[in-house]
Amino acid sequence: MSPHSVALEERVRALIVATLPPGAKPGGVIFGPDGQLDSLGLVGFLADLEYRLTEEFGGQYLLASEQAMSRGRSPFRDVESLTAHVAELLKQ
Amino acid sequence: MKAPRSVVITGTSRGIGLGLANHFLAAGDVVCGCSRAPAALQHERYTHFELDVASEPDVVAMIRAVMRRHGRIDALLNNAATASMNHALLSPARTAQAIFATNFHGTFLFCREAAKAMVRAGTGRIVNFTTVATPLRLEGESLYAASKAAVESFTEILAREVGAAGVTVNALGPTPIQTDLIKNVPKAKMEALLDRQAIRRFGEMADIVNVVEFFLAPASGFVTGQVIYLGGVQG
Repeated sequence: MSPHSVALEERVRALIVATLPPGAKPGGVIFGPDGQLDSLGLVGFLADLEYRLTEEFGGQYLLASEQAMSRGRSPFRDVESLTAHVAELLKQ
Repeated sequence: MKAPRSVVITGTSRGIGLGLANHFLAAGDVVCGCSRAPAALQHERYTHFELDVASEPDVVAMIRAVMRRHGRIDALLNNAATASMNHALLSPARTAQAIFATNFHGTFLFCREAAKAMVRAGTGRIVNFTTVATPLRLEGESLYAASKAAVESFTEILAREVGAAGVTVNALGPTPIQTDLIKNVPKAKMEALLDRQAIRRFGEMADIVNVVEFFLAPASGFVTGQVIYLGGVQG
């Protein structure tokens, strides 16, 4: 992974952690079995994140893309999987 | 004096959408409208977006532009619609796709993007437009009625999905009013339709505005997932 990619992922991870609703732990499961957010909580969180991504990086993003929703492992499971998903979106 | 509301209305180039835009502007609200055609009205509190409501990137861009400009969306009125009166067996597949694209997919896209902003805000009102052609099972309007049946079902379920976030989602089914949408419908067919209403007359903009304002009223926060038809038509 290039230094540029590492730096991008670090920015994304920081933004995700800053966007997590109060009380949600960055190290825990965000959504899914034992997840900290219910479906409405996830919707609010992802909507917030989409707006913050636009503020931070410009452009406009749909986190619940067809690609994301068809994956075997949900990109919304935890901070790591979501970071990888967002970084991929940004590179596109 | 009440604060101006930020209202998004689809299909504002004519008919009901244009009437709604004029109503909210007259009420002192801020209106963002859209249509495929250029703006049909000029007003300092009106912003027009030329787009296809079935285009995901266009809808996303519009809602985000509204949020950048006004910071919130208090109400979304999904009025844009297209109709094609024809026997089902004489309807081209492309017509079915076009009707569902505008009437259902457009409604879905606007609901999804506006509801994201509303869920973040913890409040919001969505009113989707349906038609009496659906409960009346009107012959010759199978595709139009089916697309609106999809809108009704979507309305009822979305209401449950976002209810806990303070967002209400309802639908309004006007009777025919004198708009471009029905200009090609034979007079006898219109008369037969009016005969099936409890109150046999064309609808007026005031009838529609009345129900829309009821859904938008602060006191209507406990009213969601409902479909109201005008003229005494029952679902």
